This record gives sequence, C-alpha cells and structure tokens, in this order.
Amino acid sequence: MDKFRMIFQFLQSNQESFMNGICGIMALASAQMYSAFDFNCPCLPGYNAAYSVGILLAPPLVLFLLGLVLNNNVSMLAEEWKRPLGRRAKDPAVLRYMFCSMAQRALIAPVVWVAVTLLDGKCFLCAFCTAVPVAALGNGSLAPALPAPELARLLARVPCPEIYDGDWLLAREVAVRYLRCISQALGWSFVLLTTLLAFVVRSVRPCFTQAAFLKSKYWSHYIDIERKLFDETCTEHAKAFAKVCIQQFFEAVSHDLELGHAHGALATATAASAAHSPTDGAAEERDKLRGITDQGTMNRLLMSWHKCRPPLHLGQEQPLLSNGWAGAGPRAPRREVATYLSRV
Amino acid sequence: MERFRALFQHFQSSSESVTNGLCLLLAALTIKIYSSFDFNCPCLARYNTLYGLGLLLTPPLALFLCGLLVNRQSVVMVEEWHRPVGQRRKDAGIVRYMCSSVLQRALAAPLVWILLALLDGKCFVCAFSNSVDPEKFLDLANMTPSQVQLFLAKVPCKEDELVRDSPARKAVSRYLRCLSQALGWSLTLLLILAAFLARCLRPCFDQTVFLQRRYWSNYVDLEQKLFDETCCEHARDFAHRCVLHFFASMRGELRAWGLRRDASHLSPEPAVVPPEPPEDPEDPDSGRRKAHLRAICSREQVDGLLSSWYCSKPPLDLTASPGLWGSGLSRRAPLVAPGTTLSQHTDV
Repeated sequence: MDKFRMIFQFLQSNQESFMNGICGIMALASAQMYSAFDFNCPCLPGYNAAYSVGILLAPPLVLFLLGLVLNNNVSMLAEEWKRPLGRRAKDPAVLRYMFCSMAQRALIAPVVWVAVTLLDGKCFLCAFCTAVPVAALGNGSLAPALPAPELARLLARVPCPEIYDGDWLLAREVAVRYLRCISQALGWSFVLLTTLLAFVVRSVRPCFTQAAFLKSKYWSHYIDIERKLFDETCTEHAKAFAKVCIQQFFEAVSHDLELGHAHGALATATAASAAHSPTDGAAEERDKLRGITDQGTMNRLLMSWHKCRPPLHLGQEQPLLSNGWAGAGPRAPRREVATYLSRV
Repeated sequence: MERFRALFQHFQSSSESVTNGLCLLLAALTIKIYSSFDFNCPCLARYNTLYGLGLLLTPPLALFLCGLLVNRQSVVMVEEWHRPVGQRRKDAGIVRYMCSSVLQRALAAPLVWILLALLDGKCFVCAFSNSVDPEKFLDLANMTPSQVQLFLAKVPCKEDELVRDSPARKAVSRYLRCLSQALGWSLTLLLILAAFLARCLRPCFDQTVFLQRRYWSNYVDLEQKLFDETCCEHARDFAHRCVLHFFASMRGELRAWGLRRDASHLSPEPAVVPPEPPEDPEDPDSGRRKAHLRAICSREQVDGLLSSWYCSKPPLDLTASPGLWGSGLSRRAPLVAPGTTLSQHTDV
C-alpha cells in the first residue's frame, strides 16, 4: 500500500510532465494521421473549395470532440455541474477550471492538424487555385480572351498534374509554388500565433488570479479523488455484501440439509452454533458492511449521495436525511480517524 | 526516513534532468520538423526575401515560445516574482537566476533550427538570390536588368525552364550556399565559444552569490512541488474521511429511525468507527503527519490555508514556532508538542 502511495505521489508530482507527454503523443498521432491520409483534390471548379475547407475543418472538429470524449474528467465535470445542491455549495470557479484544463488538452490535436495541413500546402492549393493572379504570374495578355467559366475550369486543374492543359496560359509549377508559399506562410503564422497565445495565458495567469487558481486546482482534484474513493468504497461494500449473502445462503442450505438428514439434539446444537458463531473472516466482512445490509438502504444511500452531497466539513454530526430532526438518538462520541483502504 | 531521502534525491536530480531531457527532446523534434518540412521557394521577385527570411526567423520564435511553455520553471519563476512579500523576503537575484536558466534552455531548439537552415543553405539562397551583384558573374552581363532580376529570382528553383541547366544559375547558387554555410559555421563557433567562456569564467565572479542563488532557486522549485504533493495527499485523506463519514452518518441515521433490521446475529458488537490502522513500523512519523493533516478538515480551512500560502509564505526559518505562521489559521488545533517542532518540520 505504501508502495502504491509512493507511486501515486510521484505521478501526481510529475503530473506536469505526464500531461506534457500526453499532449506530445496526441500531436504526433494527429501528424501521423495526416500523413496517412490520401489527399485527393477533385479538380472541378465548384468542388475544390468545398473539399478543401472540409478537409481543413472537419477532422479538427472530430479530433477535438474525440479529445473530450476520451478524457475521463468530462463525466466528472458533467456530474459536478448537474448535481443538486444538497448540503454542499457549488463553486463555478472550480467548474471553469476543470473545463479549461480539459479544453486545452483537447485542442492540441486539432491545432496540429490545421498547422500540418497548411504547412503541407495541398489543401490550400486545391482551394485557391482558381484565384491565382494569372496576369502577374503567367501570360497576362491571353487571360482576358478566355470567358470566366473556361478560365475557372482551366485553373481548377492546377492541383492535378496529369490533366492540366493550361501551360500556354500559366506554368503549373509557378502557380503551385506561389500557392504553397502563401500556404506555408499562413501555416507558420498560425503556429506562431497559437504558441504566443498559449505562452501569454500560461505566463500571465500567475500575475492575476493565483490564489483563486490554487483553490480551484485543489478542489477539482478533490472532487476527482472523492468520486474515485466513493466508487472504491461502494465496490468494497458490494463485495462484502455479496460474500455475506452467499455465506448466509450456504449456511441456510446446510442448516436445512442437517435438519432434514440428522435429527436430534446434536443437529439442533450444531445448527444453532453454526448460526450464532461466525468465523473471524465472516466478522471482518460484516464489519465492512458498515451496517448497510439491505437493498433499500443501499439504494437510499446512493440516492442521497447524488441528491444531497455531504458538506465539506468533517467536524459536524448532523443527521443525513432528515432536516433537523432532534431525536437522533444517543451516539457514541466518535474520533475522526483516517483509515486507509488496505484491503481494497 | 530512508525512503523519503531516496525520494528527495530523486526529486533533486529529476527536476534538472527532466528539464534537460525536454530541452534535448525539443531539439531533436526541431531537427525532425526541419527535415520533413518541404521547402518551397516561390521564385518570384518580392516574395523570395519574405519567404526566406520568414522561414529563417518565424519557426525559431515559435520554438522558443514552446521551450518556455514546456518548462515548468518558467511558471514557478513568474509566481515567485509576483507573490506578495508576506513573511518571506523576495530576492530579485533568485528570479534573475531562474530567468536566465529558463531562457538558456529555451534557446536551444531555435538555435538548432537557425544553424540547420544556414548550413543547409536553401533559406539563404531563396532570400538573397535577388540581392546578388550581377557583375560578379560573366554570364549575366549580356542580359538587361529586368531579365537579370527575373533570372536571379528563379535561381532557387532548379527545375524551372528558364534556368534549367544554366551554368550561371549553378554559379549563383553555389556562391550563396557558400556564404550561408560560412555564416552557419561562424555562428556555431561563436556560440560554442561564448558558452565555453561563460562556463569557465563564471567562478571568477561572485561565486558565493551564485551558489546561494542556485540553492534558493532550486529550493523554491522543490517547495512548490512538495506543496502540490502535500495538497494532493491531503485531498485524498479528506476525501477518504468524507466518504467514510457519509457511510457512518447513513448508518447512524438508520439506527435513529429504527430501520436497521435485527443485526445482532450479523455482528456481535457493531463497530462505530473503523479501527485505526497500526502504525507503520518503518515510518514512525506517519502518525504525526496524519495529525498534521487531520486538523484541516473543512472547506473554509482549506481555502484559508491556500490563501495564506499565496499571500504570506512562511519565513525561511525552521526554528520559529508554528503559531506565528499564517493569520488565517488561528483556529488550527495545536499540531504537536512544542518540543518536537524541529523534528516535525524536517520530516516534511
């Protein structure tokens, strides 16, 4: 258990580099996806722009949503956002912090896709080949003679070398170089802008809201841990419940059998002692049940966890379900102790 | 204690080695990006210079910012710079030291890009082909100035029909590449010389001040990491107790309502609290640590602790009594007996 705690502490302390690693992997995956994708410009006047814009914008959207879906914390955020207030106030700053950190991680892959697409140039070339300034780059004198649709049809074939037939008007290589150069310039500007934005956000933040940031970070981590620990405790309880249930079933069956097969005082004594002297292991399991021993109570507990989250104050001894009912009954004074789930 | 010392040493080496590793990773990434980037000079008069110089300077800037982003120390430095003075003096020298260390590491990747670009030569050829003096090359003497400009603009593009297989193009290209590589190697030599001198001559100036600043900047970094780690541990402890408290409250509630079934045959003596785990024999301080964490057990107290950490960091004096720390924590229960103050803090 101590070893687990040490590893846990190490991961938590190095979460920065862990998260950096995840971002790096997502960026590489995005770049790899792009290189594996076979770009295929239609080379038709109306379709070029639509295809290119689709390739530039649809995969980033998919990657962003995928990044959110694959992040476990999304359901935690939704749960915290939608839960009833209960006895614990909701802090919008914590929700904002959780959403921002998830969105930042999810934005890495789309940004890399857009950057790689622009730096490669094929998409831009496909989209804007009909907008090339023929007068400046090619035989400008011949351009006015062509009707606009014919010109558009000719220029739309620039991305496809095997069907381009406009060399007399504009050398294909010149047009390709021109458009790719602009595309790469746009790509590098985009990369620079994104890194500048990220740098400003990360470096300037400690100047403004550091105290609030520390609190939001702590409580968002707390909510995550509490959810995991609650699930662990419920699993432990379910295991103990099942064990005791099965044990009782076997005891009942064997009791029935003994009543059926053996008669007399010996059988009764055995049955009685079997019913009333649990073994050490069984006592341990029953302790784990913490007094919650039937389906209705468990359901009530789970409902109460959702509807009425306990307050973040461990010194209080207030009734859970009722509102201020005085007859809580005598309770043994309880020490607050920390128990580590060594049996999980 | 031994385990903690090993962990501490690991943190010590890990902070610097992690930053150095990231720096090297970024440099390797730069090389990969450069080699996979498809250079595409437009071969048009005005665009060449813009493209060439843009490619020489924009990626390094982006890589520099990336280098600052991935380095955790830059955030620590800004936090140390902007924190309220509180009970701990601020030393500008420490911030300067951290700044210079962060900048040095962030400059590695951009310099790699610039050197690669210069040694490769394509950027330089593209940017300065139009600036070449035509009189140096005999083949260009017969052309009109506009033709010369057109020709020179197309020099970077080997396959262009105007300049294909032209000896003049090859001459201009070779000339520019030679200049580029000379510049590249000179820059490399200069940088290495500067780094060498800086490293060798530093002990001649203010060595004691340097040692102090290095120690305290390392301390600030480690303290922040340990604080985060302690907060995580506390959050885990708090959550654990909250969940157990919830289960126990439910049981208490049931008992009060008389809804519990006849449980006498289930457990002879219902345990009100789970038994305390035995003290770990290898870690005798765990009990005192638990006492330390136990005292902070409500949202207001945690918020107060975090605000106090930000507004008023504790003084760098371990012999001071803990009661003097933090104005917002006056409700805190006494942590340990006064006689054990020193040993408790050295454990943390």
